[in-house]
Amino acid sequence: MNIAEIRNLNKRFPAFNLKDISFNLRKGRIAGFIGRNGAGKTTTIKCMLNLVHPDSGEISYFGLALKGNEPEIKQRIGYSNGTINYYPRKKLSDIIAVTKSFYSNWDDAACHEYLKLFNLDLNKTPYELSEGMKVKVNLLLALSHKAEILILDEPTSGLDPFSRDELLEIFLTLKERGTAIFFSTHITSDLEKCANDIIYIHNGKLVAALPIEAFMKELGQSGETLEETMLRLERSSRDV
Amino acid sequence: MYKLLRKEFRLSASPLSYLFIAFGLMALIPGYPILVGAFFVSFGIFQSFQTAREANDILYSALLPISKADVVRSKFAFSIFIEMCGFSIMTIMTVLRMTVWADSVVYRSNALMNANLIFLGFVLLIFGCFNAIFISGFFRTAYYYGKPFVLYIFVAFIIIGIAETLHHIPGLEALNAFGFDNILLQLTGLIFGTVLYVLFTFIALKKSIKRFEVIDL
Repeated sequence: MNIAEIRNLNKRFPAFNLKDISFNLRKGRIAGFIGRNGAGKTTTIKCMLNLVHPDSGEISYFGLALKGNEPEIKQRIGYSNGTINYYPRKKLSDIIAVTKSFYSNWDDAACHEYLKLFNLDLNKTPYELSEGMKVKVNLLLALSHKAEILILDEPTSGLDPFSRDELLEIFLTLKERGTAIFFSTHITSDLEKCANDIIYIHNGKLVAALPIEAFMKELGQSGETLEETMLRLERSSRDV
Repeated sequence: MYKLLRKEFRLSASPLSYLFIAFGLMALIPGYPILVGAFFVSFGIFQSFQTAREANDILYSALLPISKADVVRSKFAFSIFIEMCGFSIMTIMTVLRMTVWADSVVYRSNALMNANLIFLGFVLLIFGCFNAIFISGFFRTAYYYGKPFVLYIFVAFIIIGIAETLHHIPGLEALNAFGFDNILLQLTGLIFGTVLYVLFTFIALKKSIKRFEVIDL
């Protein structure tokens, strides 16, 4: 069952174009979103959240168009990124209390569970945390309202290998519960551990959106890892 | 809206927004252009916009399960709240000057604008300009606040200059009425300011919602 459908997304910037991006995200599956820096991953994600307005194309979740149903859809989406943090001088307890008030499905038990797992102190402010811990704060906010789909922009950036492993375990548990997870990353070994689908974007164009096995069969060569395949594809496009 | 306003108070607001409400007390200072108090109250609100930008507040708000229009409405609601707090203090001080201290020599010999209902009308006009020029200008990008604030400063001080000049023009002395003198004229000034405040704020809100709906964050 498709939880999200992205159809023919186009966005023109002065120095960059997102061209005709289409893919589906399905219930209970983890999709890895890969591509070089500047390939259009964050722009695509921002379009999916209506932060950037595409010139054309359609985005829908749960069978509802994003346009016109944004508040209802966002109740059911979790978003986190690894680069921006909010309210650096406010206590985590305040940030969580305010965020919680907006979600009808907020799960206090899950929130406490993640607080413990991520070793976050409610009396600290994001300013007092390391970059990796800030990423965990964003993840905590995204994970605590029973989202049916998680959209995560480089959620593992800045995390130590142990925390990354823990996060991938969480992804696998959520997947078992039927949550769809869509995350961009440069750490392709993480995808090999947990992803069902690979969505690969190059220079604003979709190269492939396939189950990982089909992706490797179609674009990979014998004995290659996902990273090696990606490197070879990027090098060959640069050499053309 | 309650939840959004709570978010403004608990996460986005700068403490200076609350502290600067006290500048409403400037309505008591003799020999001082008391309308500057209204400017300082709005300057306090400006501090919250600065703090909010540094805290990625607009992005955080846009990601919440609310409409984009509600993000804009919450900024207006917060600003109107602070403006009304400042206005309430100025109203109390003005009423004191119109009653208890109506015959005070210090105020009677004051060459500058007197605190009366016309003064309160001008206060509302300045707040209306803040909403129309600064807030609406901010939502053109939801990021840059320098240009709209400079433009607002310019307009606010022109209004203060006009208000301070008008009652010196022969025939317009009544604008500087003491106590309940020329009360109908005073009331007209207050009503005029109120209507402009409501109108400017309403137009600014509509315009800001439209602008925020189409910008890329």
